[in-house]
Amino acid sequence: MTGRRLGVVVCQCGGNISDYVDTEKVRSEIAKEGDVVASQVQMFACSDAAQQSVIQEIREKKLDGVVVCSCSPKLHTATFRAMAQRAGLNPYEYTQVNIREQCSWAHTHDRAAATEKALKLARAGVAKTALSVPLERMRVETLPQALVVGAGVAGLRAALALSDLGISVHLIERAAEAGGQVARWGTLFPNDKVGRELVDGLIDEVRRRENVNLYLSTELVEKTGRLGEFAVTLRTRTGDTIGLKVGAIVVATGFDPYSPKEGEFGFGLEGVITLPELKELVAEHPGRLEYHGRPVRSIAYIYCVGSRDGADTPGGHTYCSRYCCSATSHLATVVSGLDPTVHQFHLFRDVRTYGKYETLYERALRGGSVYLRYGEEARPTVTREEGGLVVRVKDRLMRSEEVEMRPDLVVLVTGMVPRENDALVRALKLPIGQDGFFHEVHVKLRPVETVVDGVYIVGAAQGPKNVAESVSSALAAVSKTGGLLLKGYVDLDPLVAKVDPTLCVWCDECTKACPYGAVAPVDYGDRRIAEVNGVLCKGEGACVPVCPKQAISVQGYSNEQIHAMIDALAAEAT
Amino acid sequence: MKVDTEFLSALKLGGEFDARLCINCGTCTALCPLGVELMPRRLFRYALLGHREGVLGEAETIFSCLLCRLCEANCPAGIHIAENVRTLRTVVNRDVYGLAEA
Repeated sequence: MTGRRLGVVVCQCGGNISDYVDTEKVRSEIAKEGDVVASQVQMFACSDAAQQSVIQEIREKKLDGVVVCSCSPKLHTATFRAMAQRAGLNPYEYTQVNIREQCSWAHTHDRAAATEKALKLARAGVAKTALSVPLERMRVETLPQALVVGAGVAGLRAALALSDLGISVHLIERAAEAGGQVARWGTLFPNDKVGRELVDGLIDEVRRRENVNLYLSTELVEKTGRLGEFAVTLRTRTGDTIGLKVGAIVVATGFDPYSPKEGEFGFGLEGVITLPELKELVAEHPGRLEYHGRPVRSIAYIYCVGSRDGADTPGGHTYCSRYCCSATSHLATVVSGLDPTVHQFHLFRDVRTYGKYETLYERALRGGSVYLRYGEEARPTVTREEGGLVVRVKDRLMRSEEVEMRPDLVVLVTGMVPRENDALVRALKLPIGQDGFFHEVHVKLRPVETVVDGVYIVGAAQGPKNVAESVSSALAAVSKTGGLLLKGYVDLDPLVAKVDPTLCVWCDECTKACPYGAVAPVDYGDRRIAEVNGVLCKGEGACVPVCPKQAISVQGYSNEQIHAMIDALAAEAT
Repeated sequence: MKVDTEFLSALKLGGEFDARLCINCGTCTALCPLGVELMPRRLFRYALLGHREGVLGEAETIFSCLLCRLCEANCPAGIHIAENVRTLRTVVNRDVYGLAEA
């Protein structure tokens, strides 16, 4: 017992936890711990009502530390720290214990063991909190300048919106021209705006802005520094390097269209093209649709090429690319607008012209398109026989009767795949998701933020999106950037390493262990000791075990706290 | 079934032939007082895909329809089934019975 007054909340997560962990048992057992003076079970600890009830208990029982046993700290640490602060506690005297991902979700087969593990983790959380000390956040300045990587529709729109906020923008583009994929396409759904015109308008506006600098044929090669003040190095095609200081970075590097493998749905055969190729073909021939000089009288579209692959497909893409159903149905209306006698057959798995784009599907139907549904297990085949393309498909609406057609053109409706961006990924140290796209911190609540503070991901770099969705995410990142940079300062987590000057003998081991270059020597009276730059330090603790004097520790994770947690976890073993 | 785009073009299925909107629920087949299995959804599918034999080979079936519109009144997609049958009767008259279009 330490004489602390701790409170513990055990969350049921609406059954996510309580279906496999006996939350009431965890509560009643943890209540027996010496320092615990209050405990409660909540159905959703993160709900407003539950937080209000915890705040009331903190005040009434004069608690000086709180433990919430709920989900991953990645999800709700900030939520509950803010709750503790509202109740008048220091936010760093709050501890989150993960009994969902680490207990209920991991041990669905064994309720008793999951409960026991949850209780042990809760005890460790209590032991850690009993030794917690109040910490203050560190305030650092931020520069009102941003780097936007990629001048496609999302990057251009982000640059303009940042400029509107008074933030200076450096907009870089790897290609020799701005505009990205959209610039190559003709009319786009839903309002028939021409892609080239859409981005030209943005580029023209960007060039008018005094506080936007556009760099073409330029790549980002290095990034150092911190949120609010990154030092970035750019390299132009000629090999010149440019050094800049920016407060935040918006990554808008877009996608690559899926490139089918040779032989995939006949790819490689004369007359088998992809959706982007047809879009370019239509854009380039605004009159009658022709392919290699011959008029196109009939088209077969094969949907979901390079999307929605089964999980067992090697190198497959399991996600839906979102834009292709709407884009293809829209393109079909454009084609039938050019020539209503062209026959168009859509071989699809599911039509996902979601939301407002549903009307495109009906427009395509009324324009003469016929949709045939095929099953994943019975994919259409494309061959070339007697000089013509032959497509065979089993029509699900006709009891899988085989339909054979000889279209002039087969269009593979290809999805979006992540871009090859290895150098950029290395420079920014951004995490990549299982699907290969850049990974956001939280899929619902923090969709444009990354684990690298001050670096945002927008548009199709984060996952398949249509133009409107890409622009929405670009503007979301702009508002995050504005919130970060316009205040002029930012408060950082104090969970960083700290040196005890009375113990340190400056042996240099911590400097060598630190991957962030955050430790340097300083004079301390008549001797030298190590000092940690709290802004560069990420608090990951590589310096702690290498110190021979145990002079360095991470605040909020002191050696005493870690020992107490181990003791609590191993209590029953002794 | 072979898609015959020439036959399909000759069918001249204009905008008023709205069977493309069919969701193949089968309500029409279930309600048909004659119990004609082919009618109308499979027949329309044959027409939309330009299946020559599937349409012309079913001339008698196409004319057996009573045009009672029981199916049409209950079609969830709001398809003008009887009008579509009339369109196909015109085609059969022309291509099977050799009657000139009126």
